[in-house]
Amino acid sequence: MIELRLPRFAGLDSRERAAPIVPERSVAGRTLVLLIAIMTFLSGVTLGGVVLVQKSAIAWSSDVGREMTIQIRPMEGEVMDSNLRTAVALAEATPGVASARALTLEERQQLLEPWLGAGLDLSAIDIPRLVVVQLADPGEADIAKLERDLQSVKGASLDTHAAWRQQLNVMAGTIVASGLLVLALIVVATVLAIIFATRGTMSSNREIVDVLHFIGASNSFIAGEFQGRFLTIGFRGGIIGGLGALLFFFLVGLAAGSMVPQEAGQQLGILFGRFALGIDGMFGILAVIPVIAAMTAITSRMTVRRFLQKTS
Amino acid sequence: MIEFSNVGLRYGQGPEILRDLDFRIEPGTFHFLTGPSGSGKTSLLKLLLLSLRPTRGRVTLFGKDTSALDQDALLQMRRHIGIVFQEFRLLDHLTTFENVALPLRVLGEPESSYRANVTELLEWVGLGSRLDAHPAVLSGGEKQRAAIARAVIGRPDILLADEPTGNVDPELSLRLVRLFAELNKMGTTIILATHELPLLDNFPFPRMNLHEGQVVFSD
Repeated sequence: MIELRLPRFAGLDSRERAAPIVPERSVAGRTLVLLIAIMTFLSGVTLGGVVLVQKSAIAWSSDVGREMTIQIRPMEGEVMDSNLRTAVALAEATPGVASARALTLEERQQLLEPWLGAGLDLSAIDIPRLVVVQLADPGEADIAKLERDLQSVKGASLDTHAAWRQQLNVMAGTIVASGLLVLALIVVATVLAIIFATRGTMSSNREIVDVLHFIGASNSFIAGEFQGRFLTIGFRGGIIGGLGALLFFFLVGLAAGSMVPQEAGQQLGILFGRFALGIDGMFGILAVIPVIAAMTAITSRMTVRRFLQKTS
Repeated sequence: MIEFSNVGLRYGQGPEILRDLDFRIEPGTFHFLTGPSGSGKTSLLKLLLLSLRPTRGRVTLFGKDTSALDQDALLQMRRHIGIVFQEFRLLDHLTTFENVALPLRVLGEPESSYRANVTELLEWVGLGSRLDAHPAVLSGGEKQRAAIARAVIGRPDILLADEPTGNVDPELSLRLVRLFAELNKMGTTIILATHELPLLDNFPFPRMNLHEGQVVFSD
């Protein structure tokens, strides 16, 4: 329509990149970044906690599962040492068993010391004796055969620690499920916060939306412009919160290491596992960042589209 | 090009603002749309811009019944219609160049493809030296010329103007209407709404007078 031939504007070649159609300051940016950072931090800490509990439970369950105990109660007319040797021999002959040995007098004294005090002479008391059986492979150990064989030893019984393991698994499972529930609630709260923030942004940018409609912009174009803004905000908040969560675990790990004496720390480590996330836990927390950013972008896009469908 | 058949418009349960509109506007013509404030000029322009649907009757644009069009088709048709508002409606955070280029940018065209055209157009409307200025530092006349440039950069077949001279002095009003007349000479169909009757005496274009919700044509 307009066929004009005028000299080109020389300054244009040095033009800077076009300004964003949705101005940065018009989006409730800083507040939303802070909110998303907090939500990401909470998600990261919850996820890290779940990973820690699960790893400890698996490690403990695996340790306990690799060990069994044969208990031989003193019986009248039975020679304890002979029964012990028989039990050890039977255990060693069982497929899947790595080793078996009777606890020494000193080990028994150490075990009972917390309850009966130090300096106890166990040789004067008739108490059950224990044989510790280490399994090479818990899956292939023929425990049923060992139980059958031990019937020939009077007063002998086999403890596979199954009840302990089951209880531990139930406890760990409950903690993991609770953590995942908390994680889901955090996600829902984040989505709701983004929806409210997006609605506020759309209302305050109504003039821009109207102008874009008048000049022929499609709803998906307008939604894309806002989504870009929210994706940036999501990434910013996600990175701050995610790195915060990693720093939290690092500092708590350091504090736990320095506050508890080394010996007690080792025992706690055996019982509850080390307070270390490991590479997989760290990756889990880092993975929260793009997930939160994508969630922010998708939620805002859907909210914007709904807003545009109502207004156009 | 534009045909209204028995068109009526009401907002909610209120009375009909526009009623029994029956007219036809040929391509390449220029019409002034006149009438006192509140007579329905803006509503009629919104019907033409497809941002409102009539409560009764049929609006036909470019040979197509607009009531039968889906969202996508309406969007495509709207891209053939430019609009200029009294209050300019430029985006304050964008420069003059960016505001004028916006209709092409939303179509996904790269800046390199429209840079020269936008610059030429801005030169043509007298804003060649204001490319990088933001609306806040432009005068009323400059803003309106930028708004006109934005409305025509996509080469619309129809250009609607809602009181485009409402915020400028009489001399500038005259210059702006001459600018619309120039665009009309190039083939654009123009409907310019105004209530400044003395201004119209300077131009030979027919008038559409809105009175009690109905249109009366006069030369």
